[in-house]
Amino acid sequence: MRDYKHLLLANKAWAAERLEENPAYFQRQTTGQQPEFLWIGCSDSRVAPDQLTNTEPGGMFMHRNIANLVDPGDQNLMSVVQFAVEVLKVRHIIICGHYGCGGIQAALEGGVHGHVHDWLEIARDVLRDHAAELDALPFERRAHRLVELNVRDQLIKLAHTDVVQQAFAREQPLELHGWVYDLRDGLIKPLLEIDAGTPLGDVPRPASVLV
Amino acid sequence: MAKSSLIANLRADIPASIVVALVALPLCLGVALASGAPLFSGLIAGIVGGIVVGSLSSSPLSVSGPAAGLTVIVFDAIARLPTFEAFLLAVVLAGVMQIALSFSRSGVLGEFVPSSVITGMLAAIGLILILKQIPHAVGYDGDPGGDFAFSQGDGLNTFNTIAFVLREQVIWGAAIIAAISLAFLFWWDKAKPEQGPLRFVPGPLVVVLGSVAINALFGLFAPALQVRPSHLVNVPVAEGITGFVNLFSLPDFGQIGNAAVWTTAVTLAIVASLESLLSVKAVDELDPKRRVTDKNRELLAQGGGNILSGMIGGLPITSVIVRSSANVGANAASKMSTILHGSWLLLSILLIPAVLNLIPLSALAAVLIATGYKLTKPDLFLKRWKQGYTQFVPFVATIVAILFTDLLIGIVIGLAIGFVFVIARNFRPAVTFVQDGDSCMVRAKRNLYFIHKVELQKELDHVPDDTTVVIDLSATSYVDLDNIDIINSFIKNAQYRNINVIVRGDIGDRTAPLIQAPRKEVAFA
Repeated sequence: MRDYKHLLLANKAWAAERLEENPAYFQRQTTGQQPEFLWIGCSDSRVAPDQLTNTEPGGMFMHRNIANLVDPGDQNLMSVVQFAVEVLKVRHIIICGHYGCGGIQAALEGGVHGHVHDWLEIARDVLRDHAAELDALPFERRAHRLVELNVRDQLIKLAHTDVVQQAFAREQPLELHGWVYDLRDGLIKPLLEIDAGTPLGDVPRPASVLV
Repeated sequence: MAKSSLIANLRADIPASIVVALVALPLCLGVALASGAPLFSGLIAGIVGGIVVGSLSSSPLSVSGPAAGLTVIVFDAIARLPTFEAFLLAVVLAGVMQIALSFSRSGVLGEFVPSSVITGMLAAIGLILILKQIPHAVGYDGDPGGDFAFSQGDGLNTFNTIAFVLREQVIWGAAIIAAISLAFLFWWDKAKPEQGPLRFVPGPLVVVLGSVAINALFGLFAPALQVRPSHLVNVPVAEGITGFVNLFSLPDFGQIGNAAVWTTAVTLAIVASLESLLSVKAVDELDPKRRVTDKNRELLAQGGGNILSGMIGGLPITSVIVRSSANVGANAASKMSTILHGSWLLLSILLIPAVLNLIPLSALAAVLIATGYKLTKPDLFLKRWKQGYTQFVPFVATIVAILFTDLLIGIVIGLAIGFVFVIARNFRPAVTFVQDGDSCMVRAKRNLYFIHKVELQKELDHVPDDTTVVIDLSATSYVDLDNIDIINSFIKNAQYRNINVIVRGDIGDRTAPLIQAPRKEVAFA
């Protein structure tokens, strides 16, 4: 059997099992979606957001890219954020980094070229902005800390975007969360939160959670 | 199975059927004797069990006939009912009930017998066969062949009979025949050629023919050793057609209003069905090709057999393991073997009763001992041991229980122990408790069955006062009503402990509506 056949078979079984549980399972989701969460995470195959939070289909709007980076000029990300906030009216946006992120490692040590290298320029900004703290760390701790600082900086950038600022201005309920997922124990470790009342010029660096 | 394949296998089935018929013959007589019934009624049951049940059943290797496991029930019933003809009516009614069981698809109950109990039953029967046949092998016929009860009618039990017989009762001629027969059977099992026409020669058949020859030689050269008629097969010899017809009897339908007839019928229907299902399931496990018999069809076949057997004066029928395993051991290939065995039984009492009466019982005992050994090989014990204690304990418990009580009580004990281990083996923790500050979650990661009651209660007990708890049932498709009660009691108590309860429902939405707490789930519109 060719590998992709497994996916098709597994899908058939999944659909059959859902229908067996509830004959209206698929029919009811044709009416639309009302997710409460927007998840911005890494493309890493080990970090499956709905699985590691036991979220059913329909529960989470999602955007994933290498190293969970936010660039206000990225039409892909910004259209997702706009639709989630303005149309779906999600109440929470989560940016989640993770232990052992290959993108962050590459931003720190290089070794990539082309599109990946260009994309990681956003992460290298974080590296430059926190050079003093990172340089003071022992070598093996640097990547962990960069994962955390990256989440903080991307979350602040997200808070500055027009979409989020307008939502705050019209007092739409919206909170931003910065999290880190630890591959070693499977646990999500919250770093920081931002809402309409947070002074964005003065967001502290979060305490380290990847120890 | 298609007709062509029944005929295609005749080369294997004809010799096997002869062996089975020769094993069945003394067992039919023995069971009848032990049941307090006319000897001929055992033969009728054997013939009907072969031809009728064999034709109706879909089991390729099971052989049916009068069962040792029923002797206690039958003996009792015949003593209690006014006439043997009234008992025959009960047999017919039991057959009708079995057909009703078949149409209500009750045969599926047989599938729920743990395999450790079935192999335990086989091993126990093997051991009993060996133990019970040793006295017959040395010429003592106090206990009717084929009885499985520990306590025998003659006041002795399985073990002290052997001691008693070996001390007092050895008949040397019978013992010599048994020893030669056994030695040949074990040797032939190993030495039988893989190729050539000799591989079709069944050891038991050689043994039976050889024993007749040896006994004849004893008669010529060592008359002191010759086995006397009391230790030979003893089939009734009918005088002409009328004499033969007179051996049959009809049920007394006038007894249809007799309550005792109906209780006998119900008992027979239940016990015979159970024995047949167990036996057929066991035979399926012995089948080298591991074919699976349709159990509902088997009940239909058994019911048909019992109706006919009762109608013409025969004992009740079940699928019987000793004859079936002899059938497997003789390399039968299809159900043609069991059908033919019934025909041979019929032909033998019609044509050659005098010849059959030359066979020493000790030779048949040797055949049964060899059959018993195959059922209880050390290999079998080793295999179960390697599967761990949850398989080994019920297996051994079944053996011990059957050895020291009887087949039916032993199986019931084995089943009870088997199910305890099956439940223990199948139990998996299903509830997870996690906490994060003042919020926590009690999550069912799989269905919450009745057996999860204790676990669910224990995990709910972990929820501290002054918290918000999410009871997550999203991974379940079934929550037992008892568990719903536990959750609702917890919710009722929660308001006094300042616990805020939220329920995340099941996909099927069967359980969540029964839980008295606000729900929080993915919404679509």
